[in-house]
Amino acid sequence: RESFQPEPGEWKRFIYNPTSGEFLGRTAKSWGLILLFYLVFYGFLAALFTFTMWVMLQTLNDEVPKYRDQIPSPGLMVFPKPLSALEYTFSASDPSSYRGYIEDLRKFLKPYTLEEQKNLTVCPDGILSEQKGPVYVACQFPIFLLQACSGMSDPDFGYSQGSPCVLVKMNRIIGLKPEGTPRIECIPKDENVASISTYPNNGIIDLKYFPYYGKKLHVGYLQPLVAAQVIFSANSTKKEVTVECKIDGSPNLKNQDDRDKFLGRVAFKIIARA
Amino acid sequence: MVGGFSILLWVGAVLCWIAFGIQYVSNPSASLDSVYLGTVLAVVVILTGIFAYYQEAKSTNIMASFCKMIPQQAVVIRDSEKKVIPAEQLVVGDIVEIKGGDQIPADIRLLSAQGCKVDNSSLTGESEPQSRSSEFTHENPLETKNITFYSTTCLEGTATGMVINTGDRTIIGRIASLASGVGNEKTPIAIEIEHFVHIVAGVAVSVGILFFIIAVCMKYHVLDAIIFLIAIIVANVPEGLLATVTVALSLTAKRMAKKNCLVKNLEAVETLGSTSIICSDKTGTLTQNRMTVAHLWFDNQIFVADTSEDNLNQGFDQSSGTWTSLSKIIALCNRAEFKPGQESVPIMKRVVVGDASETALLKFSEVILGDVMEIRKRNHKVVEIPFNSTNKFQLSIHQTEDPNDKRFLLVMKGAPERILEKCSTIMINGKEQPLDKSMAQAFHTAYMELGGLGERVLGFCHFYLPADEFPETYSFDSESMNFPTSNLCFVGLLSMIDPPRSTVPDAVTKCRSAGIKVIMVTGDHPITAKAIAKSVGIISANSETVEDIAKRCNIAVEQVNKRDAKAAVVTGMELKDMSPEQLDELLANYPEIVFARTSPQQKLIIVEGCQRQDAVVAVTGDGVNDSPALKKADIGVAMGITGSDAAKNAADMILLDDNFSSIVTGVEEGRLIFDNLKKTIAYTLTKNIAELCPFLIYIILGLPLPIGTITLLFIDLGTDIIPSIALAYEKAESDIMNRKPRHKKKDRLVNQQLAVYSYLHIGLMQALGAFLVYFTVYAQQGFRPTSLFHLRIAWDSDHLNDLEDNYGQEWTSYQRQYLEWTGYTAFFVGIMVQQIADLIIRKTRKNSIFKQGLFRNKVIWVGIASQIIVALLLSYGLGSITALNFTMLKAQYWFVAVPHAILIWVYDEMRKLFIRLYPGSWWDKNMYY
Repeated sequence: RESFQPEPGEWKRFIYNPTSGEFLGRTAKSWGLILLFYLVFYGFLAALFTFTMWVMLQTLNDEVPKYRDQIPSPGLMVFPKPLSALEYTFSASDPSSYRGYIEDLRKFLKPYTLEEQKNLTVCPDGILSEQKGPVYVACQFPIFLLQACSGMSDPDFGYSQGSPCVLVKMNRIIGLKPEGTPRIECIPKDENVASISTYPNNGIIDLKYFPYYGKKLHVGYLQPLVAAQVIFSANSTKKEVTVECKIDGSPNLKNQDDRDKFLGRVAFKIIARA
Repeated sequence: MVGGFSILLWVGAVLCWIAFGIQYVSNPSASLDSVYLGTVLAVVVILTGIFAYYQEAKSTNIMASFCKMIPQQAVVIRDSEKKVIPAEQLVVGDIVEIKGGDQIPADIRLLSAQGCKVDNSSLTGESEPQSRSSEFTHENPLETKNITFYSTTCLEGTATGMVINTGDRTIIGRIASLASGVGNEKTPIAIEIEHFVHIVAGVAVSVGILFFIIAVCMKYHVLDAIIFLIAIIVANVPEGLLATVTVALSLTAKRMAKKNCLVKNLEAVETLGSTSIICSDKTGTLTQNRMTVAHLWFDNQIFVADTSEDNLNQGFDQSSGTWTSLSKIIALCNRAEFKPGQESVPIMKRVVVGDASETALLKFSEVILGDVMEIRKRNHKVVEIPFNSTNKFQLSIHQTEDPNDKRFLLVMKGAPERILEKCSTIMINGKEQPLDKSMAQAFHTAYMELGGLGERVLGFCHFYLPADEFPETYSFDSESMNFPTSNLCFVGLLSMIDPPRSTVPDAVTKCRSAGIKVIMVTGDHPITAKAIAKSVGIISANSETVEDIAKRCNIAVEQVNKRDAKAAVVTGMELKDMSPEQLDELLANYPEIVFARTSPQQKLIIVEGCQRQDAVVAVTGDGVNDSPALKKADIGVAMGITGSDAAKNAADMILLDDNFSSIVTGVEEGRLIFDNLKKTIAYTLTKNIAELCPFLIYIILGLPLPIGTITLLFIDLGTDIIPSIALAYEKAESDIMNRKPRHKKKDRLVNQQLAVYSYLHIGLMQALGAFLVYFTVYAQQGFRPTSLFHLRIAWDSDHLNDLEDNYGQEWTSYQRQYLEWTGYTAFFVGIMVQQIADLIIRKTRKNSIFKQGLFRNKVIWVGIASQIIVALLLSYGLGSITALNFTMLKAQYWFVAVPHAILIWVYDEMRKLFIRLYPGSWWDKNMYY
């Protein structure tokens, strides 16, 4: 036990021992040596680590990640960006309740304005725009395709009318080439409560936006968007609906994974208060 | 299952459940991770507890079976019928019969006895047989002749008696309970492990709490901070270590049992290794426990006889006529006989009826002359006078085997001075010569010399009775002694000793070079004790006692400077008058000490004296009266063959062959296990840093968590278990028996150097290596190292399903989670690969691995194979089970940490090289653990 609870005097002597000149059990010289040793040793280790990291970084390619096996299939994400749970609560009569959503949507759609897109290419519809480089061009995504949810005709994105717009976006994955005719299908859980309009019509995602060549090469790339507008039925008293959106029509885009609830699908809830 | 690490883990488990409880209340869909973790922790504690219990129980069983080997039986008269019953069924008042060879089943008052002799040595230490009769001779039950004691043996004769005490109420039972009253001290290894647990638990708790506070200050949710706390504790506590230690100890115990050391208490395995003083018995432990002819003197010359165990090599000159006569006397003037039916048994192992010196002489002559019984038949004995203490001689008269020689031969042996008195002539080179002054002087010189060797000397003489005075028909009478007993012809002297076992001198030398002081404690005469001590090296050849110096310089004992003497022979009488301080001084100042004529109680005093010197004391003993000393000693060693049950019960270890050199083997094994435990602990502690850093960096720098808590447990209890046990099989480093015994308080199992080197040197290198693998995995999937810092909040957010990497790709939360698990697996593999290097470097602490031999310990390779196989199984076999957080790792990631592993090896070889090159230097002091 004594090793754990030295006498108070012993502590004092441990901190500074005047007879041997020891400070915390070591003499100044010993401390010096120890510090020097660790300085050199850790300096060496740090240099070594830096060097190995540098070597590792040399194996990387600036344009494309070395492996893409962990994201074979894209996830879906909605806008406005949910803060906590995927729930949008607003009141059509109270603009402050949805101001945040509208601002978020505007911010998100900023790159999609005509002004921003004027340098982009107009690509032919319905085919993959595979490119060989060295310069990669991005295709225009005309924002009017989103129709009522484009923010052009209705700056409130339908919120003030009680029919809110939610944008659905497919995650970017380098080199992804969807097969078939991919589209986003949104279905309300309870069809009596609300119906969904998707824009572009049928929620079509055009193949011309694929493949994606990465942030560095594919400057100005715009992801295709799909808007879902929730229209509550007039006779329903309940103004609360869960909407499930998923990718459909493409055999190589998964939408049914037990563990990943966002792989090719997304579910959100709209609560419209009076 | 309680105490030390277990408590910490229980706390961790309970915290996990509480955390889940709180989470569940606020959000019923909370993830079950913390419940898993809590359950796993609880299971770990319970399993290691059960395992340790099982190991202990197994070794206790070995002991139990050993005790039950000889159930004691007693012949009792009940219902006027003789019955044989187990001794424990005896009750007070039973009438029992005993005969020669029996163990006395209870304390018995004799009702009748015929020539009954008992061996009370186990009780009182008297080695002479004691005769017993039905007479009451003394008030003291220990002195009176009509009581025999439980557990002593009846040597010869028969007796009938009444049981007066049984079981614990017997004299021996009382001594045994006295022994159990002597406090059972904690074994040194138990203290060391406790010390180690304190250190590690202290580090775990203080780092845990420090980071708990930091986490709270950094505005983490308290629940998250608790989870960090648990993770830090789990990372720091070597869960598998205590089980490993138990296994290592029991492996050593098994190995020692093979070398005739049976260890009763697993922890005592190591105690022997830290022993700095051995208090050894003489008889039976250092010596062979049988009288053997050591020297002969005839023709005015001393001859040396072979005293080794098999005794077959009697190479002295046997051509002289004197030897012919002497050998005849030795063979004829002897009453001892071999028990019949032992023709196939080697002579030295045959059972003999007769006392110790007669037995020695019988065996001696049997070896040299051949069939002694046949010689005796040919030389028919006509009369004999047995040895008694007043005559001090033994005499017999025989017809000679030569049919032409009608003379009778009188042969006599006895105390040399008494024999010489009866002689007027002496035989030299087979011819009788008058015994003149110079011959008498030569006799005395020889007698003194042999006596000075501590040997029991006997004189031999003979006389051919003239045929005219004593015709063939003469009737000899032993009572009236109607034959001459003076003017005989002196033939020679013969001396006997209980010789040291042949392996003992070597063992004592080994002890000495291992820095262990061997003290002889015996009830024997100081001269004999000293002689044996000299012959086995307990007193080395060139060291002298105070008395020796006085004699050499011809001065009084008081004038001798005590510092000049290295050795001391202390008798029980002197010891009685010593104060504890004087005893301390004696023990501290003399490296070579012999205690002679000591009583069993004094043994306890000596042991206590040694323990006051901070020594770890091993005591050997066999008698019941030794049991308090055995119990008091740090490690009591009982003799398996001659030892009494009480001694065996009190001891921690049993020497199955009663051989001192087995103790030395035990010391070596004990030191080895201490070294190997050190290596095991160093090996186990190293990865703690690599396990701890991820959490610290996660909290402070906000990287995605590099390794999960459950994954950590797979290192501690998966890949690392077999390798750490494998270190218990490591062979000793070259200096193991050449260094001083460790100091109980200074040389700790886990010292500062070990902790610093494991944590701050190798541990840190490992952490860097593991981080390299981790960063490689993330970078090659799209997250470059720089982007990972402070990514934690976004990374861990379940609602953020489009986290962008450095290449513009977007990840859902589950995709990130899966990448995180890949990171866990990578980090895990990184640690595993470097632990292989760690395992290899831990094989030695000082010697180069190449000197120790990479392949000598095959189990290490089993360990390495197990590491790799377990890791492969976890990654590729169970990679699809989500709860385990493992994924299938790309083949090349297994090799990313290999350069680091090689670096660890090279660095450690350098460390060892400098330690060997510059012993005692700053490097040695700071880097040798």
